[in-house]
Amino acid sequence: MRHVGAIAARELRSIFATPVAYVLLAVFLVFAGYIFLLGLGFFLQQIEQIQAYQMFQMLEQFNLNHAVIAPAFGTFAVLFILAVPLLTMRAFSEERSNGTIELLMTSPITTWEIVLGKYLAVLATIGLFVLCSALYPALLFFYGDPEVLQTLAGLIGLFGLGAALAALGCFVSSLTSSQIVAGLVGIVGGLVLWLFDLMADAAQAEALAEPIRYLGIRPHFEGSLQGLVRSEDLVYFTLSVVFFLSLARASLESLRWR
Amino acid sequence: MIEVKGLSKRYGELMAVRNVSFEVQRGEVVGFLGPNGAGKTTTMRMITGFVPPSSGTVRVAGHDLESEPNAARRAIGYLPELPPLYPEMRVADYVAYVAALKDVPRAERPAKVEKVLHSCGLESVARNVIGRLSKGFRQRVGLAQAIVHEPEVLVLDEPTAGLDPVQVAEIRNLIRDLADEEGRTVILSTHILPEVEAICRRVLLISYGEIRVDGPLEEVRGAGTLEDVFLREAGPVPGTPAAALEETNA
Repeated sequence: MRHVGAIAARELRSIFATPVAYVLLAVFLVFAGYIFLLGLGFFLQQIEQIQAYQMFQMLEQFNLNHAVIAPAFGTFAVLFILAVPLLTMRAFSEERSNGTIELLMTSPITTWEIVLGKYLAVLATIGLFVLCSALYPALLFFYGDPEVLQTLAGLIGLFGLGAALAALGCFVSSLTSSQIVAGLVGIVGGLVLWLFDLMADAAQAEALAEPIRYLGIRPHFEGSLQGLVRSEDLVYFTLSVVFFLSLARASLESLRWR
Repeated sequence: MIEVKGLSKRYGELMAVRNVSFEVQRGEVVGFLGPNGAGKTTTMRMITGFVPPSSGTVRVAGHDLESEPNAARRAIGYLPELPPLYPEMRVADYVAYVAALKDVPRAERPAKVEKVLHSCGLESVARNVIGRLSKGFRQRVGLAQAIVHEPEVLVLDEPTAGLDPVQVAEIRNLIRDLADEEGRTVILSTHILPEVEAICRRVLLISYGEIRVDGPLEEVRGAGTLEDVFLREAGPVPGTPAAALEETNA
């Protein structure tokens, strides 16, 4: 496992040596900021209305976490589905088209070390995205009084979602030498994972609906918006990372047989 | 140094390499010849452990590739046909990264990187980004990554393809020095016959996945030229399906 650090460090430098990561981060921040501002504007409008009609009992259930931060994080999650595959698409596709995969696979290192090194670099970048997402709710702490822990739970949810999507993206990237294909398939895969629980409604038997609901990523993420960091959700995120990284490893190993 | 026994590789119906056996002694420089598609690259990929053989064994520096893959891989320096370069990296960083991958101890890395940059004539571009280098420099960076961990065995797949005559001469000198002065074992594939005559003392000719010629350069050449040998031996063996196919096509 001692090569993981070297691979991750090189990967991280490569991610930030090309403009892709910066452009993604900038576009993400612009959209996220706009969505956050819209949510906040709507919130202030409603507060004014409540005051105008003297319905003060409604203020009880009306707070910044519920009305602004949670919906904004919900939209950030959708932005993640679009952004994370664009970040991971180069992971293995580029190694394959450069021919550098041949260097890695003839070096005295294991395929796990390659996969983990790559993944850790992407994960660190996603951590940066989550930190940047935290900037917007952080501003609210200057002007209002949102719940710290509930906000943190939402950020943990975003990170878990990003981690799972990144593992999926790495796997997809290991399948093709075309970055564009990897990016597009990664986005579609992320959307399928996100909307998977909708299929539970179509399932006739409850015995079938329950596992389908569990497999979708959205229910696991949405718990965090209510301030819940449930162990079942953390287990889900961890399992999906392990699952997709194992697939990525298997797919890289299979390159030797072609 | 290299011991190849009964090596075969099957891709579906196609036998890319069939029952190839040979041995290479320490310090030998072997020219691996053959027409395109003869199985040169596949054989080299099996020696370096990139592709597992369908059958047969490879031993490098006394290590069996299957039972001790990492020891064998540490003993090999490999320059694939397409040099495995990261275009966004700087030359010195890249060579240091490869040194880390090849288990060069951290304390020895700076000295080894510096040494290899010197021997490959890369000092002037050490801080340059690889993607902006000329083809000749890139090929040298490819060679640098193959020798940075001072492997006993060098496997070079068409090391001079696409270079100008001056660059070709430089690379050849470098390879000759590696073998003569440092005692490294070299197996290099090419279809430039004068290249073999310039640096190799032994010739291996492969065609249709089979070894056709194996011997010292002088002996193989005999009275004729290497080109005569190549043209005579590179065709399909008479009476085989491959020969029949060639005839129908002609």
